[in-house]
Amino acid sequence: MRPRRRDFARAILRSFSIQGSWNDHTMTGPGLAHALAPLLARIHAGDPAAFRRAVQRHSRAFNAHPYLAPVAIGALARLEFEGDDPDTLSRFRSALRAPLGALGDGVAWAGWRPFCTSAAAIGFVLGLDAGVAAGAFLVLYNAGHVALRIWGLRCGWRSGRSVASALKRAPLRRLERSLVSANQVLIGVLAALLIGQLPGAGHVPWRDGSAVIVALMGYLVPRHISAVAMASLLAACAVWLL
Amino acid sequence: MIGVELTAGDWALACLLGAVIGLDQVSWPQAMWSRPIVAGTLGGVLFGAPAAGCLVGAWLELVLSRHPPFGGARHPETGPAAFTAGAAYAVAGGGAPAGVVAAVAVGWAVGWTGAYSVTLLRRVTPGLVSRPEGFRGGAAALARRHRLALALDGLRAGLLVAALLVPSVLFVRLLSTQPPGAPAAAWWPVVAGLGLAGAAGVAARGLGARARRWPALAAGLVLGTVLARVLS
Repeated sequence: MRPRRRDFARAILRSFSIQGSWNDHTMTGPGLAHALAPLLARIHAGDPAAFRRAVQRHSRAFNAHPYLAPVAIGALARLEFEGDDPDTLSRFRSALRAPLGALGDGVAWAGWRPFCTSAAAIGFVLGLDAGVAAGAFLVLYNAGHVALRIWGLRCGWRSGRSVASALKRAPLRRLERSLVSANQVLIGVLAALLIGQLPGAGHVPWRDGSAVIVALMGYLVPRHISAVAMASLLAACAVWLL
Repeated sequence: MIGVELTAGDWALACLLGAVIGLDQVSWPQAMWSRPIVAGTLGGVLFGAPAAGCLVGAWLELVLSRHPPFGGARHPETGPAAFTAGAAYAVAGGGAPAGVVAAVAVGWAVGWTGAYSVTLLRRVTPGLVSRPEGFRGGAAALARRHRLALALDGLRAGLLVAALLVPSVLFVRLLSTQPPGAPAAAWWPVVAGLGLAGAAGVAARGLGARARRWPALAAGLVLGTVLARVLS
C-alpha cells in the first residue's frame, strides 16, 4: 500500500532522533529503521512478517549526515514500495552512505551552522540582547534545518533509485562553497569584535594589530603544531599569572 | 573568600537543563540549542546574567569550532560545556578578563569530558539496539530500545553537569577574585586576546580547509577591527 501523508510526517518527526541509538557497530542503523517504520508499516500493511523483516533489514549498519538521512528514508521507502529484492536494497543503502555524509557535513556543519552562530554572536557583540541573539539563531538555523529534512524526504521518495542524480542537480555544493567563504569573513569579524570589547581591557594599544597577526598565524601554521603550541602557551601563561 | 550563592534548587534545575541541552547535540533533535551561543545564554539566564553567559558562549563558538564533527570525528560536547561555563561566569559576576579565560577553559575541559562520556555510553548502547546482522525484534521493541538509548544519553548529560557545575563555579570565581591592581591583572587581557585570536584562526581553517581562504579571514578581521574602533 502507498504511504499516506501522515506516514511521511511521522517519518520526518522520527528522523530528528535518528542518532538517538548511535553506536559503534550499526551506527545510525537502528535509528534509520525506527524512522522508516511508519512508512514500512503502510507499505507492508496486512503482512506483519514482511514488515518485521523490513525493520530488521534496515536496522543493520548505516550512517549518513542526520539532516540528509531523510533522503535515504524516502529513497529506501520508495524501493520497498516498488518491491525491490533485499540484496538490491542492501547495495543501495551502502551506496547512499558516503555521499549523504560528505554532502551533509559540508552544507550543514561547515556551512549553515557556523554562518548562523557567527551571525548571532556578532549581533550580540554589536548590542543585541543575549536572549534575542540566541532566539534569532534558533529560528534562523532551524528554518534551514527543517527545510533540508523535508526537502530530503521528498527528494528521496520522488527519485527512488535515481536519487544520486537528483542530489547532483540540487544546488547544495554551490550553497556550501558560498557559505564557507562567508564564514571566513564572519569568523574574522567576530574575533576582532570580541577582542575589541574584551571586558576590563580598556584601550589596549596592542590588541588590533596583534589580534590580526595571531589569527592569521593560527590559520596558516600547520595543524598539528598550532594545537599543541597554543594549548601549551595558554597553559604556561595561566600558570605564570596565577 | 570565594563564597558562591548556588542553592540546591538552582543545581537541580541546572542538571535538568543540562540533560535537555546534552540530548540535543547528537541524539534529539539537533535543533542546536546545544550550541555555545544558546547553551551559554541559558546558563547565564539561570543565574540572572544572560549577557555574561552569551559572552562566554560567543567565545566558545570560536574556541570549540576547531573540531567540527566531520565524518564522525571526535569533537567536544559543546552543550553541557557552554552551559556550565556560562553559568559559572554568571555566578562569578562576569566582568574580569581572567573570569572569561577561566570560563572558556572550563568550557573546553567540560566539552572534552563530555566527549569521553559519550564514547563510554556508546560502548553500552550496542548491547541495547544492535547486532552486526541487525536487530532481531519487531518495530515496537526497536522503538522501546531506541527511546531507552535516548533517555540514557539525557541522563549522561545531566550527570555531567551535576558533577562539574560546582567545581566549575568555584574555579571561575577563584580566578575572577584577583584584585584589580594586581600586576597579573594587566596581563589577563593579553592572554585572553591573543588566545582568542589564535583560536579564531585555527577555527577558520578547520571550517574552510578545502581551499586557501585566508584573504577572506583577513578581510573579516580588518572589518571587525574597524567596527570595534567605531563602536568604542
